[in-house]
Amino acid sequence: MNIPRRRVALACAVTALAATALAGCASGSDTSSSSGNNNKALEIVYWNYGPAAESGNKSTADAFMASHPDVKVTLTPVTGENWGTYYANVATLIASGKRPDLMVISGEGAQFVHSNNLVQPINQYLEKDAGAKAITADIAQGLIDGFTVKGDVITLTYGWNDMVVYYNTDAFTKAGLEPPSADWTWDDFKATAKKLTADTNNDGKPDQYGFTWASNEIFPGIMPWVANAGGNLTSDDVCAATVDTPQVNKAVTFLNDLIKEGIAPAPMPMSDVFTRFQNGQVAMFGAGRWPIATFLPAGFKAFDIQLYPKGDTYKTVFGGAGYPILKSSQNPDLAWEYQKFTVSDEIEKQYVGTPDKPGDSIPSRRSVAETISKVGVPPANSDLYYNSIDKYPTLVPYPAPAKYSTFESTVLRHLQQIFAAETSVPDGLKSLQSELSGIVTC
Amino acid sequence: MSTLTTSPATSPVTPPSRAGHLAARVLTFLVLAVAAVAITAPFLWIFRGAFSGSDAELYRLPPTFHAENLTLRNFGQVTEQVPYFRFFLNSIIVSGTVTLAQLVTCSTAAYAFARLRFRGKGLLFAIVIGSLMIPIQVTIVPLFLVMSKLGMTNTLWALILPGIFSAFGIFLLRQHFMALPYELEEAAKIDGAGRFRTFARVILPLSGPSIATLGILCFTYWWNDLLLPLVMISDTERQTLPVGLVLLAGRFSTGSLGTIAAGIAMAIVPVLIVFIVAQRYIVQSIASSGLKL
Amino acid sequence: MTTSSTLRPGTGDHAVADPGPPAPRRRRGDGAAALAFLTPSIIMFLVFVLAPTVGVLVLSFYNWNLLSDGTFVGLDNFDRLFHDERLLGVYGSTTYMALAILAVNVVLGLLLAVLLETRMPNWLRGFFRLSFLFPFVVSASAVALIWRFLLNKDLGLVNYLLGLAGVDRIDWLGSSAFAPVSIIIVNSWKTIGFSILVYIAGLQSIPKQLREAAIVDGAGAWTRFWRITFPLLSPTIFFLVVINTINSFQIFAEPRVLTQGGPGDSSRTIVEYLYDRAFGDFDLGYASAIGITFALVLVLLTAIQFWFSRRWTHYS
Repeated sequence: MNIPRRRVALACAVTALAATALAGCASGSDTSSSSGNNNKALEIVYWNYGPAAESGNKSTADAFMASHPDVKVTLTPVTGENWGTYYANVATLIASGKRPDLMVISGEGAQFVHSNNLVQPINQYLEKDAGAKAITADIAQGLIDGFTVKGDVITLTYGWNDMVVYYNTDAFTKAGLEPPSADWTWDDFKATAKKLTADTNNDGKPDQYGFTWASNEIFPGIMPWVANAGGNLTSDDVCAATVDTPQVNKAVTFLNDLIKEGIAPAPMPMSDVFTRFQNGQVAMFGAGRWPIATFLPAGFKAFDIQLYPKGDTYKTVFGGAGYPILKSSQNPDLAWEYQKFTVSDEIEKQYVGTPDKPGDSIPSRRSVAETISKVGVPPANSDLYYNSIDKYPTLVPYPAPAKYSTFESTVLRHLQQIFAAETSVPDGLKSLQSELSGIVTC
Repeated sequence: MSTLTTSPATSPVTPPSRAGHLAARVLTFLVLAVAAVAITAPFLWIFRGAFSGSDAELYRLPPTFHAENLTLRNFGQVTEQVPYFRFFLNSIIVSGTVTLAQLVTCSTAAYAFARLRFRGKGLLFAIVIGSLMIPIQVTIVPLFLVMSKLGMTNTLWALILPGIFSAFGIFLLRQHFMALPYELEEAAKIDGAGRFRTFARVILPLSGPSIATLGILCFTYWWNDLLLPLVMISDTERQTLPVGLVLLAGRFSTGSLGTIAAGIAMAIVPVLIVFIVAQRYIVQSIASSGLKL
Repeated sequence: MTTSSTLRPGTGDHAVADPGPPAPRRRRGDGAAALAFLTPSIIMFLVFVLAPTVGVLVLSFYNWNLLSDGTFVGLDNFDRLFHDERLLGVYGSTTYMALAILAVNVVLGLLLAVLLETRMPNWLRGFFRLSFLFPFVVSASAVALIWRFLLNKDLGLVNYLLGLAGVDRIDWLGSSAFAPVSIIIVNSWKTIGFSILVYIAGLQSIPKQLREAAIVDGAGAWTRFWRITFPLLSPTIFFLVVINTINSFQIFAEPRVLTQGGPGDSSRTIVEYLYDRAFGDFDLGYASAIGITFALVLVLLTAIQFWFSRRWTHYS
């Protein structure tokens, strides 16, 4: 017996209505602000993670309205501390009857919106639209594959991030090390990290570490190591967990050994890593392009990037974001125009930025991304960002099942125990696998 | 410090210290001083961060301090990055309105529970206390739907109205009212004062400390509340300060530490003012309010 | 003054024994006046507390993820509680942390509040009071910022200072043994000012004459505390026990920003757990079922506290 969403929502609110009537207040009309009646209106929901998100979306909307004078674009910023709370708040909005035309999602959310039947795939537009071919040809195939679920293309990607290693160039110089090259191996990496580890106050414990990774996210955390060991956290169809394989064991053991041998500190969240990288307490860490939006305005430029070291294989781990068209849209054709607009030259240039005000992700259009080094936005090795997805094998699909939030927190919870040495790597992964079997399903 | 000076009516209760009590007094001050330092020390780091020109310096061990790195730039960054004063105003409106409304609703209800006789009082009070038990994290979705039905989402009403009923406040004041001597009310009753007059003229003037305490606690709580604005409000112009701090922290909380610290420091100031003003009433003892026993 | 009275939950008319021995017993209650005094609260309660609570109750019988159609599942969500392998562990860690925080608040809070009553210059008293309340005025983001730096294992200030004293590095946030301890420390740090403030309000209401009379009678500080302060403060103490129990069982922000509930579930609280079910899994029905049963546990705890309070709480 299925009860429509609206009826459940109604049941929840019914006592309120009764109480309102009792108090003699005029009941507010239903606020479902779907753009239904006006054919030339679009409502866009985006994650308002900070001033950059708001100004970026405003200028996109303004530019779109300037080129489409008859269209009214309404922006609905949704605040959230991370993608997870953003999705939760959007879901709450939708439950209350809001019907946006487009909403920003990250690659991790592709399976989620698809399995909840929220989005209108763009396959037919990609076939029919004359301009689409030129756009997709300028976008790395990995970025389209990353947003393809069971053959349905969820959205074009406007910006994305690949996972690369950031290294502190001053720390390398001080330790007398050459900058790493793209073909370094796990052994090279470990030897380098070890040389960057130091006990400067001679208390018998290191206070400067070679490497660390984010404890609160899996993409800039363990994923590159898992991918380069030849593994993944889920099966190719993202329908089953594969975390107790030899490959995942190998990757987690490698990281665990770094902690055990005192080359890496106890893992900490991404934001703490940033500060400690800038002050030299940590010489290397992994992330996408977003750290430069923190480093450059703070005046910190003594860093460069390199690919993750090669294990048994090399695969670039990446994630993107886009504006999928929602099924609830009254104007899918217009929404498609908007989505296309978000990857136009005009908008994509925002993600390049300037040396003082850098973009915080990589433009998805190759021709635009290539201008990063021409504009002179650090780091020196910036061409690597797009090359990593164009010229190297990539990890597709994302290990991002429909219940991504639960999936990620479950993985992190077990990793916490492993890295705190409260369980062995194989045991920890085994219990993780058994718990994930109920979460990663199709 | 003079603003902290409490009302002169407060009389110390400890007898003049005799020689034997000296050790006890030293110990007392030692305990208080250690506790005060332990509790406030972490804030020095926030204030230092607010004036620090270098995030990297903040995490250095041993802690270093370079006076030449001090700057006011972070405060400028706060106002440049987010509409800080708008948030500030919204927070004042929300916390101020909720606090004033709570003082009215809680004190009247508490009086009824403490002093009036009526059918179903026990049950009603049990329901009041019971409403504290369901965590807001699970009622937030139905509450949002209610607000949405009332057409109040994305308005400050969605932050104010849910805060006005306070089981905590009713309970706090009821406990206090019940501890007040009955004799006074009897005297008022003999004078022919009605229930409301008794409440307004006898009970309230005696309740300065607990009403001021409720005021401080209520204001502080709503000043810092993050869950409601995060869910209820989407327009940036209607957000409150805690959301402002989230926005300053930025994506994956990777914003500048100095800027966030400056935002936090600026957000503390009004609460301190409320506290300093209200604490005059906290120390207003019964002895000083003319009560004779 | 020694008439003890309290609430007997759910038992009609005279449940809250109305003391006031000098009052001539009146036949009729104060129904009309009570209604007038209670109306503002009742309206707010109905719309913004009761309605959402009924909503939670409704949701607990549904399988609903906010986005697609809901399914009526009867008592399935409650049945799932018994098969949830993590739930008991989370209840355990919640209880452990809550009881410790409760004890710190009620006992240490009382100690500091009483010490604040000793003779000292008013500006000093004001300074201490303000110091104790300071942490209470900051938001969760400040808590995260400060304590993640202080408690970091390898690069944090606390371990650095302990290291100078020769203590080995403690994994404050990353080990099952210390993560809950850290949550207890941080939450107590944040809430103790609240308890102290409420104690102060209670202490201020105790007529000074009583204590001064006791001094004249030659009673020592210890005797005065147990004979006069403690009994007269008992409504306040009782209030703080009840409120701190509820608050400390409902901790959410500190584990979320400091330990993410881990490692494992060692520092996870029920509220954090149900939040993840609701907004991580989008399993609103199950989260509601957890919320309702958790509320019932708290109701039971509170009822017990009210029952016990009759033995030691004194109202005038």
